[in-house]
Amino acid sequence: MKKVVCLFLSLMFLLVSKVSFGAQEYPLGVALSLTGTGALYSAEQVNGIKLAVEEINAKGGFLGKYKIKLHIADTQTKPDVGVRVVKDLILRDGVKALINDYSSAVAMAVKPIANEYKVIHIAAISNSENITKINYSPYTFQVVPNSYMQAKASAIAIAKMAKAKKWKTYVTIASDYEWGRSTQKEAVKFLKELAPELTLKKEFWPRLGETQFTSYITSIMAMQPDFVYGSLASKDNVSWMEQAKAYGFFDKIPYPGSLISVSELILEAKTLPRGIIGLTRAPFFAHLNNKMMSNFVKRYFAQYNQYPTDWAVMGYDAVYALKQGIEKAKTIDSEKVKDAMKGMTVSLTRGKLKFREIDNQLRCSSYVGVVSDDPKYPFPIYKNIIEVKGEESERPEKEILEARKTAK
Amino acid sequence: MNFTFILSQFLSGLTYGIMLFLVAAGLSLIFGVMNILNFAHATFWLIGAYFCYSFWSYLNQSLSIALWLSIPLAAIAMAIIGAFIEIVLIRRIYKRELYEQLLITYSLTLILGDLIKIFWGVTDKLIERPEIIRKPIFILGAPFDSYFIFVYLVGFLVAVGLWWFLRFTRYGHIIKAAVYSREMVSALGIPIPKIYTFVFALGIFIAGLAGAVQAPIGSVTLGMDIAIIIQAFCVVVIGGFGSLIGTFVGALIIGEIYSFAILFWPGGAMVLIFVITAAVLIVRPWGLFGSPTRM
Amino acid sequence: MLIFLSGLFFILPLIVKEFWVHILSEILIHALFALSFNLIFGYMGQLSFGHAAYYGIGAYTTGLLMVKADLPLLYCLPISMLTAGIFALVLGFFCVKLRGIYFAILTMAFGQLVYYIIFQSYSFTGGDNGLQGINPPEMLKNIYNYYYFTLIVFIVASFLLYKIGESPFGYTLRAIRDNAERTEFLGINVKRYMHINFVIAAMFAGLAGALWGPFSRSVSPDLCNWQHSGIPVFMSVLGGPFNFFGPLAGSIIYTLLMAIVTGYTEYWPLISGTIIITVVLLLPDGFFGLFSKIKRFIISV
Repeated sequence: MKKVVCLFLSLMFLLVSKVSFGAQEYPLGVALSLTGTGALYSAEQVNGIKLAVEEINAKGGFLGKYKIKLHIADTQTKPDVGVRVVKDLILRDGVKALINDYSSAVAMAVKPIANEYKVIHIAAISNSENITKINYSPYTFQVVPNSYMQAKASAIAIAKMAKAKKWKTYVTIASDYEWGRSTQKEAVKFLKELAPELTLKKEFWPRLGETQFTSYITSIMAMQPDFVYGSLASKDNVSWMEQAKAYGFFDKIPYPGSLISVSELILEAKTLPRGIIGLTRAPFFAHLNNKMMSNFVKRYFAQYNQYPTDWAVMGYDAVYALKQGIEKAKTIDSEKVKDAMKGMTVSLTRGKLKFREIDNQLRCSSYVGVVSDDPKYPFPIYKNIIEVKGEESERPEKEILEARKTAK
Repeated sequence: MNFTFILSQFLSGLTYGIMLFLVAAGLSLIFGVMNILNFAHATFWLIGAYFCYSFWSYLNQSLSIALWLSIPLAAIAMAIIGAFIEIVLIRRIYKRELYEQLLITYSLTLILGDLIKIFWGVTDKLIERPEIIRKPIFILGAPFDSYFIFVYLVGFLVAVGLWWFLRFTRYGHIIKAAVYSREMVSALGIPIPKIYTFVFALGIFIAGLAGAVQAPIGSVTLGMDIAIIIQAFCVVVIGGFGSLIGTFVGALIIGEIYSFAILFWPGGAMVLIFVITAAVLIVRPWGLFGSPTRM
Repeated sequence: MLIFLSGLFFILPLIVKEFWVHILSEILIHALFALSFNLIFGYMGQLSFGHAAYYGIGAYTTGLLMVKADLPLLYCLPISMLTAGIFALVLGFFCVKLRGIYFAILTMAFGQLVYYIIFQSYSFTGGDNGLQGINPPEMLKNIYNYYYFTLIVFIVASFLLYKIGESPFGYTLRAIRDNAERTEFLGINVKRYMHINFVIAAMFAGLAGALWGPFSRSVSPDLCNWQHSGIPVFMSVLGGPFNFFGPLAGSIIYTLLMAIVTGYTEYWPLISGTIIITVVLLLPDGFFGLFSKIKRFIISV
């Protein structure tokens, strides 16, 4: 009996020793929701990351000598799985930096692990502001406009329209989870400030992963609000819009300022109602005059035969932000790189942007625009884009300090 | 709260109920006849939806007939897959313990889920609807997705077709007899394994049909099966294992609860559904329309 | 055997790399979870598909107490057991009225109920975000120390579980499993025995859950949904439900395999599903069943 158990255990442990990496490599971990609700956006982000890594490796790697070795793992959009795979990446593959996750819940669960092992943690899609606002970790950076910035950007746009069109009432529909909840809460708060004449008639909270939106659609239509504010993402967003359209929803009720990312523009190219006003995070077409962006789009198209979505853009930017941090620190030592990146201004596809000292949040813009056709693309893009800068939309530092005080 | 409003909520609930019925009907049939609770049933449903997408994109998409052809094709493809899985796997576990049966079908969801990922990738699949079902219609002022007329029709046909089949055909009689006495039926010289293969394939056929009908409603994505299988279980429990009419009523109850709960208690719909399911199990484990003899 | 095994678990962290100490801790926590589950499954003969609910309740009790009340971990563990036990006392009352598939589905329905309540109680439990910042006391922050802490808790708990299994109470459970009617005729209140056992099992699941939060620094509602309830079922069947150490063996096999496989491929569900089907079809009594078969074969040769 003993022998069997012993033999078995030693066999298991023999199996598990993995090949260690060479000294001239930079192991970069990518832990994303490759399955689960976040699969769609995550797969596109991986494309962006891979392209950036190829480009950098073609020039010899970080600092011209550290070739990047990618370690990609699936967090399954589940926090406990995320923690496990990240420990795996850190302890087994020895990654020095991590790009993670689609889900804010996963990113927040991973944050303390990255902090403990002193690994740089870049949140490149997940945008709950709680990732950087409370339980601050100096190792965690965010290159996506956070939920507060996005909510404020759309509220600014909506308030303008509400004044022009004399809107009085609205309802909200948001996915029942952290990101949906926090974005909705902030947007409602801003609308109260910016357009006090508006009244919120009802809040709807479809669960995450909902496939049947008809009950929500009919009851919103019956309430006849002047407009609807939505905060849904990924496949829930697609399902919701597809089903609402079949009810003639968008012909009747304006739906301004809700997330319609480039993924949705491409995926629903033929059916997306034109003229509705959407909000997005990193549309490539807003920055084509930036050389880095136009080159990226060209290469991306050559490689994958499609245009980069927001998620691909931000994945690409995440790698380049890290690269510039390493160049500034002149070393790949994560301890020094994270210090170098603090408050640093980086040149990305979206222009020159600064990581804010207080929370390592990139001062990036949010984009509001009208969904319209463009002969250059096989899908609609945004026209009349309002770019709400990070400086205009970020949460005041005072509030962040207060939030940190009350959280502890 | 006026009449039109209540009517439109009721119709939404009915739609959801019919979708749930289509998912649960095969589950209930397979359990009723073969005494196997098929965890993987919703995964077959999802594969049906993917098949529908694939057939549709393979056919000439611009013709509206493409969709109407893809739906039955997907269901037939699923029936073939169902028969195959019954022969190679399910057949081996009829005489096994309950937990072994559950584990096998549960493992099947894991395996099939990954196979879907391998074959179709992670990108959402969207079917563009033909022109005829793009615009809503109005029923007494209540807006209504015109495609749902077709969904209702399929639900109705499946319900009536199954009822007629079990009630009035020779094959249906044999199946019903096999529920009560396997020995008796095989003593009459009727091959039980063939019947089981047929029933399993029929159940998966309905699952595939339901999935294909679901496909044009929203996007088809990974993980949809996990969300719906538990609700399908609830339907079967509330209605009674193996009872067709029970499944139908159970599905409508859950659909309506779902549709109205979001107005009064947002987020509480799922809690309510599980409370009702638990209550039925405690008070009447054989369900509203089942019979206690099977306990 | 017992001394040998625990000796092995004491020595291993000194040999292997740090990552494997994490995995070893995970093995122990999962094993305790699976051992508690097996009290219902292997001993009592009922399949619970909602055991993760009690694991989750334990995890959340500790998490909430540590984050919101700064209570020391040592106090949290018994409180978590108690909370899980109270829930099981109420929910189990209904569950033990049913048998077989109905028992399985009712436990699952209750499990999902707990899951959705935690998921919806946004302001209290953090909703889908879960709770972060569950930091163990300074001394246990180091994974090696936390591992040994877990190991001691595990040894004490599994010793208790073993004693329960070997007590007259444990033998009554086996009698109920083999023939509930006959046991009833012997004048034993079958339902009460099952109910008590259900509560005990839930308490130990709560203990396992309580160890999880400080280990991974966070808890999330996923810990109590039905897919998580499948894990102890897998482990018990893999190891062999009719041997006390079966679930432990199952946890070792399952957790190690997962750690290895996920290092190479994202298709862990495909592989684990295939393994389960193979085990159920070919090795009905799991690892220990295979082991005794081999032993018999060797003896006969």
